[in-house]
Amino acid sequence: MDVKLPKLGEGADSGVVVGIFVKEGDTIANGQAIMELENEKAVASIPSTAAGVVEKIYVKAGDRIGVGAKILSVAGGGSAPAPAPAVAPAAKPAAKKVAAKPAPVVEDDEPVAESADEIVNENPFASPSVRKAAREFGIDLHKVAGDESGRITAEDIKNYIARLMRAAARPAKVVAEAAPAAKPAPVSVDFSQWGPILKKPVTPLRKVIARRMSESWNSVARVTQFDDIDFTKLGELRKKFAADYEKKGVKLTLTPFVLKAVAATLKAHPIFNSSLDEVASEIVIKEYIHLGIAVDTEQGLMVPVIRDVDKKSMFDLAKELETLAAKARDRKISADEMKGGTFTISNQGAIGGAHFTPIINLPEVAILGLGRGAMKPVVRDGQIVARLLTPIALSYDHRVIDGGSAARFTVDLVKAFENFDEALVKI
Amino acid sequence: MDSIKTEIVVVGAGPGGYAAAFYAADLGKKVILIEREKKLGGVCLNRGCIPSKALLYATHQIVNSRESAHRGITFAEPKIEVDKLRAWKGSIIEKLAGGVASLAKMRGVTVITGRAYFEGSNKLRVETEQGQQFVEYDKAILAVGSAPAMPKAFDLGNPRVMTSTEALEVTDIPENLLVIGGGYIGMELGFVYSALGSKVTVVEAMDAILAGADADLARPVVANAKKSFKEIRLKARVTKMATVGKQIKVDSEFNGEKLSELYDRVLVSVGRVPNSADLGLENTKAVLDEKGFVKVNSQQQTDDPSIYAIGDIAGGILLAHKAHKEARNAVENIHGESGIFESIIPAVVFTDPELAWCGLTEAEAKEKGVAYVVSKFPWSASGRALSFDRTDGVTKMLIDPETERVLGVGICGAGAGELIAEAVLAMEMGATVEDIALTIHAHPTLSETLMECAEAFYGHATHTFTKRKSAE
Repeated sequence: MDVKLPKLGEGADSGVVVGIFVKEGDTIANGQAIMELENEKAVASIPSTAAGVVEKIYVKAGDRIGVGAKILSVAGGGSAPAPAPAVAPAAKPAAKKVAAKPAPVVEDDEPVAESADEIVNENPFASPSVRKAAREFGIDLHKVAGDESGRITAEDIKNYIARLMRAAARPAKVVAEAAPAAKPAPVSVDFSQWGPILKKPVTPLRKVIARRMSESWNSVARVTQFDDIDFTKLGELRKKFAADYEKKGVKLTLTPFVLKAVAATLKAHPIFNSSLDEVASEIVIKEYIHLGIAVDTEQGLMVPVIRDVDKKSMFDLAKELETLAAKARDRKISADEMKGGTFTISNQGAIGGAHFTPIINLPEVAILGLGRGAMKPVVRDGQIVARLLTPIALSYDHRVIDGGSAARFTVDLVKAFENFDEALVKI
Repeated sequence: MDSIKTEIVVVGAGPGGYAAAFYAADLGKKVILIEREKKLGGVCLNRGCIPSKALLYATHQIVNSRESAHRGITFAEPKIEVDKLRAWKGSIIEKLAGGVASLAKMRGVTVITGRAYFEGSNKLRVETEQGQQFVEYDKAILAVGSAPAMPKAFDLGNPRVMTSTEALEVTDIPENLLVIGGGYIGMELGFVYSALGSKVTVVEAMDAILAGADADLARPVVANAKKSFKEIRLKARVTKMATVGKQIKVDSEFNGEKLSELYDRVLVSVGRVPNSADLGLENTKAVLDEKGFVKVNSQQQTDDPSIYAIGDIAGGILLAHKAHKEARNAVENIHGESGIFESIIPAVVFTDPELAWCGLTEAEAKEKGVAYVVSKFPWSASGRALSFDRTDGVTKMLIDPETERVLGVGICGAGAGELIAEAVLAMEMGATVEDIALTIHAHPTLSETLMECAEAFYGHATHTFTKRKSAE
């Protein structure tokens, strides 16, 4: 019984294997995480669709695989039909894979593989003359869709070239892509000439993080706005209700408060809940509020996404947070659970430090960073009083958002925290 | 000193070299073709493929005439005139070599007869009967081929110890012939001599005859060889040879015993070696591998950007049709097109019966861990095979169970060399086994065995009954 790469979700049909959690001979359960796959903006674990003993693993770290690609095979047990006889002649259904091919409609907005290494055809086959034509045009047949069985005809090559030409004619993200080209070639320095050193390989996850951070750094016109927020009331509310939450098995941290306050502020300032579509020259404002939470894991940064934060209760948010953070730390989180974020929150309060300048999680346009809250003397009604102040930093993309908007957002965010509605916390 | 300038020079006029020269000329290049022998065509035409096939055809007639008594037709014992046989074979070579020469002339390819020697990356010296001739070129295509290997220990300087070159001359019909090496050359010539009346003994160091092919495919060949030859010894080794009068004394080890026997002739067919020596390659940037083959990249280019190498000299499988394809690729790359070798190379052994295969063998599939399903069709179920008394054959397919694409095809039986062409085309076109099953194959022909083999995969071949797994 083979375990194949399941459908990954909207618009994603391939990814790069980051790591494999099981080895040949291991016994695995249905649903158990078997490997980690990086695709688009997420690194996610892939669950097994069968149970049994792993017979053979077909992929390795670094492989780019598509939906339906064989990951491993298991023997025995299983939720799946009994293994098919290995030797022919097996009784085969007469009709198979011969789905009616839709009439070739040339659509202008047909998606063309954006990244040059997008593999859409795992197992392409074509006649010698078609292969020769592809070679002459420098086309990798793995990028040409062909029919369901992977067969590519001369017509498919023509259509592929036509699509490439249409895509090239569109105002593409040429500018963004051209910028990093100026980067000087990396140089290897021998640091041991100045003292003892220790070398560690860069993990695949670290590579993903590095690439995304550079992409953001190179393409976004980032500005960071600072402020301090009085968390005294929030701290009190948390203490007041912590026990109630505890009784229901959920730990009440400050993060659900942050989620609610941010969601309310985003509703009032939808531009912070948008994305810049450079290809279409459009700003896409999202009417849903899905918040990404940066989670510090042993291997590196992961950003699970909590959906429809504005529509959920504090209790549900607290509960979901716990589950998602635990999943992220155990690296059991799925790709879908890390996708579709509209705004990200990076809370370092539990660790320490004050203001910092967060990097925007593309394609979002803003991110909120929180430092560690501390009791500080402040002037309130002409009196110096001790209040719990939390340093916050809002990074935004100045291509989309102007400074005035950011200042107004910050003011409203401060209000949302300081006037937090107790009714929301009650359970 | 006299020096000719040309765009392309091809060294060696075998099936790779002349194909390269002609194709380059067809694409409008100025081409010089250098051949050290007077006759064009190389080993294939003069001392390999063609003469061996001529002899096999002639000797098949002897076997056929002997085996038709049960059909009610008897012939007198054939009278064999070796000189006439050799002359007939020679006339075929003559015709073909003459054909190649006139094709060169029509295309305006200049042929120089002489030994070529590289003076540098873009200059050759040719030693001709008329003296030295220098050729300056933009690109050279090296197609100097290979020669039969003759281990030092066997090289007695006695013409009774032959390579394939001498064996194809059929100087006489030895009463006792020893064939060292049970590869395709040894086996093909073994069948020629056994039909002529020699008692043939084959000594093979490995544990199988025709080791490149799957054992189940080689079986009918081995069965017929056992019937026709005196003996086939596997895991045997010749240790020493010496001239004793008009015979050769051969010491060998077989089955733990030391043997000492006398043979009238010995055929040494233990492989081939590249002709890379004495070419002046050290004056170029081309690099040889440890076996002496010239290293090339996927465009057939050597480490010297001005020099390409094709065919046997470039290593890999030593077959004329591989050289021909590489010739096309090299010329296309020189011409600014992109040719790379990604083709399926069929292999044909012209034994009796013939053995041919393409794509993956079962042994290779196992070694590579490729998932496959085998479908076989025995020729005993073929009406055509029965009609000419050759049911000793089998058609076999390796199929990807997932995509049902054909991964490999092997055929053993009369005419397998012709039949394999369909399989090669099917594989190049990415045919599924169903495509082959759905294609009408004329009746009664041996090609039907391919269709029925494909049908057998689905468990519904007309002329065999395969119990379905699910019904068990």
